[in-house]
Amino acid sequence: MTAQTILLVEDDPSLRTLTVRLLQENGFLVRSATSAPEMWAALEAGPPDLIVLDVMLPGTNGIDLCRQIRRDSDVPIIFISARGSEEDRVLGLELGADDYLAKPFSRRELVARIRAVLRRGPMADANEKRRHEVEFDGWHVSFTRRELRSPSGAIVDLTGAEFDLLGTFVAQPQRVIGRERLIELSRTRLSDSSDRSIDVLVSRLRRKLSAAGGKPPIVTVRGVGYMFSAAVSRG
Amino acid sequence: MRARSLGILTRILLILVAIMATEFVANTLVFNRANRFALHEDDAHRMAEHLVVARRLLDRTRPAERPTVASELSTDRFTFRWSRSGDVMPASLSLNNMRSQILEEEPALLAAKLRLHLLPLPKGGDVAGSMELSDGTLLFFRTYQAKGLWTLTFGRILSLIAPTLVLVFIGIFMVRATLRPLNVLMRATRQVGTGDPQPVPEAGPTEVRHLIHAFNEMQLRIHRLVSSRTQALAAVGHDLRTPLARLQLRLDGARLDPETQRLMDQDIHEMTELLRSLQIYLSGEGETVPAERVDLAVMASTLIDAACDMGKDAHYVGPDHLEVEVRPVALRRALSNLIDNALHYGGNVRLTLREKEDGILVIVDDDGPGIAEEKLPEVLQPFVRLDHARSRNTRGMGLGLPIVKDAVQAEKGSFSIANRPEGGLRATIRLPKATG
Repeated sequence: MTAQTILLVEDDPSLRTLTVRLLQENGFLVRSATSAPEMWAALEAGPPDLIVLDVMLPGTNGIDLCRQIRRDSDVPIIFISARGSEEDRVLGLELGADDYLAKPFSRRELVARIRAVLRRGPMADANEKRRHEVEFDGWHVSFTRRELRSPSGAIVDLTGAEFDLLGTFVAQPQRVIGRERLIELSRTRLSDSSDRSIDVLVSRLRRKLSAAGGKPPIVTVRGVGYMFSAAVSRG
Repeated sequence: MRARSLGILTRILLILVAIMATEFVANTLVFNRANRFALHEDDAHRMAEHLVVARRLLDRTRPAERPTVASELSTDRFTFRWSRSGDVMPASLSLNNMRSQILEEEPALLAAKLRLHLLPLPKGGDVAGSMELSDGTLLFFRTYQAKGLWTLTFGRILSLIAPTLVLVFIGIFMVRATLRPLNVLMRATRQVGTGDPQPVPEAGPTEVRHLIHAFNEMQLRIHRLVSSRTQALAAVGHDLRTPLARLQLRLDGARLDPETQRLMDQDIHEMTELLRSLQIYLSGEGETVPAERVDLAVMASTLIDAACDMGKDAHYVGPDHLEVEVRPVALRRALSNLIDNALHYGGNVRLTLREKEDGILVIVDDDGPGIAEEKLPEVLQPFVRLDHARSRNTRGMGLGLPIVKDAVQAEKGSFSIANRPEGGLRATIRLPKATG
């Protein structure tokens, strides 16, 4: 596997140096830019596999920058922000950032996020990546916002693990998914590594999907695993 | 425009002059009315007739019999008394009208030198008078119309009071109009610091205009001061994150012994949390995020589930689903703060969600030591920390509960905390029904 290129856009010199070193140590090829013009120049020179973008750059707003990049490129973007509020995160993700990291972050965290985004990035199935919204039984799942809405339009909170589980289910509707497979999938997730058994996660998800007395669409297949019974339509 | 900027003194003087002038005019009118002390037409007619008949009759009677005849002519309401001579009362000017009315009816009485005068009130306040017979002797008469005259005096009192009453009302109206800009100013004073500055329109007397002008300037100064402090704090929260990020990365790279590494990680984490709560608290002010439909029951139970997963003693009591219209991020943070507080200070948490007639109730209980009664109001104030003997027992910047308070207020709800009688602390969020 050839080394992947990361473009780091960060205006603070020391932080830039530290991050560049960190990424190089982890086997990435790193190019860095201190401002928006430099970033555009670097993009001209050759498309990176991923951009790590500080939201607060002098003179420009990272959010506008992200919007501009997205106009003609699908390159994965990870936001680095000094604000770290939930609203910022949602806004960043909506604008097409693939992930959002608040300062300060640990080395492990940054590398893990980059790896995760790269994994589901261009390497992943193109259909998978475009699958931003799906619907079933009137329920609405937005993968960009990582949000589930009930048939009446209400936001239904899910933990990270629950959302990933739901994502797995809606990706393979009407198919029995073995417990072992689900456990494996939930283990590969980086954050939210709760030790809860998959059965607890499923029962919680079921309870949340049981609004208005309707039957939850997750069926237990005795001895094998679970099946998502509802028809899923891509939005 | 010049007239509008008169001083308060000038205005009050003007008001007084206006009152005096009006009263003068009104009184003059009232006295003129009294001058026109008149009889109804038929009364005048009857009186004239009475007088003419009595005069003719007594003229023809021999003087010796005149007293008897005079008393025979008298009735309950009109008495006559004959006298050879006597003091004639000067005619009352106020009865001129009545006299001319009578003379108009019976011009013959002109020759009789008819005089009318009002008896003083102690004597009944009636009309009395005299006329001469043809031989020069005098015939005195007197009416008894106490009742009629009484209504007349009552009417007079009323007519004297009425303008004064009107004047009082006009006076109240004028003074109130003068003071209205002051009232506006007073209301605005109570609002200072609660939001964007609202300039008070400069109106009213000069002094009040100056006052309002000064107030508006002060309001702007306070606002600038508050917002520059807020910006400074926000900048601190923001700018410290970059050096903190450098520190974190350097620490990760330094080959320290694991224990030191862990403790320093903890320090950085604590600093990050402080900055985060500061940023949240500051961004909460003037936030205009729209409300969204949210399943509050799922929100609460998800937070409780997460606490359980961390091995905490956390319970959720309430329905599986309850949809409301709120600002989800802020409310989730509020619930999360309350759960964290309960777990940190009380060691456990029990969240109860209840839908009631008049709204939605979220109760967060713990079985901890609670808060000293006199400290309760303090903890909702920002940057207040209840430092016990061990000063580091408390964490954060004392923004947890103020953030909850702001979030609940944004939903037009109410937030309170109290010690439970059975021990422990109870935080109660009441959301209005409109959000349901």
